[in-house]
Amino acid sequence: MTISPSITSPERRPLRLVGLLPWLFAGVVIGYAMLVGGYAATVVSFALIYAVFVTGLNLFMGFAAQVSFGQNAFAAIGGYVSAVLTATYGWGPLPAMVLGMSAAVAAAAVIGFPALRLKGHYLAMGTLAIGLIAYEITVEWQSVTQGYMGISGIPPFGIAGYEITSDRGQLVMLSLIVAACAFAAARIRRSRFGRALSAVAGSEEAALALGIDVSRYKLMAFLLSAGFAALAGSLFVHVVGFVSPEVFGLHMVIVTFTMLYVGGIGTVAGPLIGALIVSLLPETFRAFKDYQDLAYGAALILLLIYAPRGLASLFAPRGRS
Amino acid sequence: MMKHKVIAAGFAACVALAAPQIAGAQEAYKIGVSAGLTGYAATVDRAWRDGVELAAAAVNAKGGVMGRKIQVVVEDNRSEPQEAVTVYRKMLSSDKVEAFVSGCVSAGNFAAAGLLQRAKVPMMLCSILPTQPEHLQWAFTTLPPAGFEVDKRLEYLKEKTQIRKIAVLHDPTPYANLQKGVAERNAAKYGLEVVSIEQYKQDDADLSVQISKARSAGAGAILKIGLGGTTLTAAKNIKQLGADMLLLTSLEDLAVFGPVAEVLGDKFFFVASPSQVYEALPEGALKAGIKAFLDPWREKFRDRDPNWASRGWDGVMLTVAAIEQAKSFDGEKLRAAYEELKGFQGTTGVYNFRPDLHQGITDNPFVLATIQDGKVKVVQ
Repeated sequence: MTISPSITSPERRPLRLVGLLPWLFAGVVIGYAMLVGGYAATVVSFALIYAVFVTGLNLFMGFAAQVSFGQNAFAAIGGYVSAVLTATYGWGPLPAMVLGMSAAVAAAAVIGFPALRLKGHYLAMGTLAIGLIAYEITVEWQSVTQGYMGISGIPPFGIAGYEITSDRGQLVMLSLIVAACAFAAARIRRSRFGRALSAVAGSEEAALALGIDVSRYKLMAFLLSAGFAALAGSLFVHVVGFVSPEVFGLHMVIVTFTMLYVGGIGTVAGPLIGALIVSLLPETFRAFKDYQDLAYGAALILLLIYAPRGLASLFAPRGRS
Repeated sequence: MMKHKVIAAGFAACVALAAPQIAGAQEAYKIGVSAGLTGYAATVDRAWRDGVELAAAAVNAKGGVMGRKIQVVVEDNRSEPQEAVTVYRKMLSSDKVEAFVSGCVSAGNFAAAGLLQRAKVPMMLCSILPTQPEHLQWAFTTLPPAGFEVDKRLEYLKEKTQIRKIAVLHDPTPYANLQKGVAERNAAKYGLEVVSIEQYKQDDADLSVQISKARSAGAGAILKIGLGGTTLTAAKNIKQLGADMLLLTSLEDLAVFGPVAEVLGDKFFFVASPSQVYEALPEGALKAGIKAFLDPWREKFRDRDPNWASRGWDGVMLTVAAIEQAKSFDGEKLRAAYEELKGFQGTTGVYNFRPDLHQGITDNPFVLATIQDGKVKVVQ
């Protein structure tokens, strides 16, 4: 009789130092940005915001092996709710962020319930439509979103009257949030819920035969993923102080997919590594001017040739992704 | 005694030799350009960048500004606000840029406005101005008010045609929305009625629905507001529908208008900036101002449209004038000097800035033109 990992407790494996290398890399990059500040801090800050988004995307696409091209819709909901409530109605960033995340999760529940009946390419097309619809709403609902004019004057994140305005302060805040997200992802992966997702990822029919409520678990993964996306959207608007529809456009979908695959889909460290690499690479090639995209594209192709399962998987113990 | 004289002469010779090097070694004055060299703003912002670089070369050929050569640092913001924040940050902290003459990506300039305010570095823009009062303090623009392009067309319709019902067809960009608002407000002043307002997207391949609605509402002319290939699409749709309507479009690259004129003939008019109709201008300060830019422009770029580049040129020349007026390169003093620039003759018109007015063009510089026999002809 074969014992499925989805119904047994995970075995404890000894901590391997090589597995810590991705985290060490991230720590060095963030530490350098804190030390230098300015430009480096801005690039790494954006990377960390994307890391939150991609961690959520990884729950749905990596752990549950589903496809969603529409997570930018939930980032837009989180970002715009935060922006409108703080800049227009004078709310504090924290309650605005919480409400933004709640709104995104509620929207994900309404959308996900019917949409997740789709599979494969149809699910991909359906979720792509969600992202496009959300983008159109941010452009057209001008009385609230101000269309392409965008919303300015969004206050920086802060708690109890203390605003985090410095580069280093924001980096510390974002690093803590990313660490918490990665920790949550690691815990989820090893939990009963994570093992159920793993079973769904392997075969939905087999998971169903094992008594796993596939629809429910897929929906829960979708909701969690939407929550992470909304958190990232909200963080973005408070860090930059401005939001306009382009921020949550198709570009975001492409960039985050690249981050997920370069970092390593289905791994815990992958989203952070992918976000850092994909954010840093274009800056590294900025001096190439008109050939920047060419160099960046070539570097990405090389990465995917030599690390097809993502960079983080290079450091994972054999047999584990 | 002789020995002392030789030493003194040697010292003097050394100083004389070293002096030009010391003067020449004075650090260049860095002007940053955040421009959408790729993405939706590429056509406009590449021209803007070229105008900025041309102006910097012209200033440097005359010895620079207050003894310092101008160095232009250009970064591509990909027409995205997030990328704009990154490149502004790079130019501020790594390149140590002291002033910005940035392109037409409004959202990018808005997103970075807070950074510049905190760094006390002013920016002269191609785009509309940020809306936050504290950001507005550090931002200035070469862009004429949105109403000017609209008023010129309404004026023509009132004075030269019998048309009294018009339609507005616009894209969703901030500048187009501002113009749409002006058209709604000002039409009555010219005895015109706006009977249809329709929006389209920049990548729409067909506008016949919007045009049919305008025609059935009784519009005799369409005011099209927005850039890109949709002008030709609108012209083709008007012809396909057999609609007896005039098409009056906003400011655009002249290269776009040739094919449109071939489709609509004498039913097509467009707003043109002074540099686009240079040959038709009367002699005077404006023509002389444009000539200073247009001669090197044509030498380098031949018959490429000069409109956006001419405002990039103005952006640099305004900055140079403000530095010379302030007698300082300091950001705060430069900002204050911009606000005091009056009667500056640029290529787009005369700039008159005030502390409460950071949009310097105050008199309508535009003309209405058409294309006859392949040549631009001013009609209003």
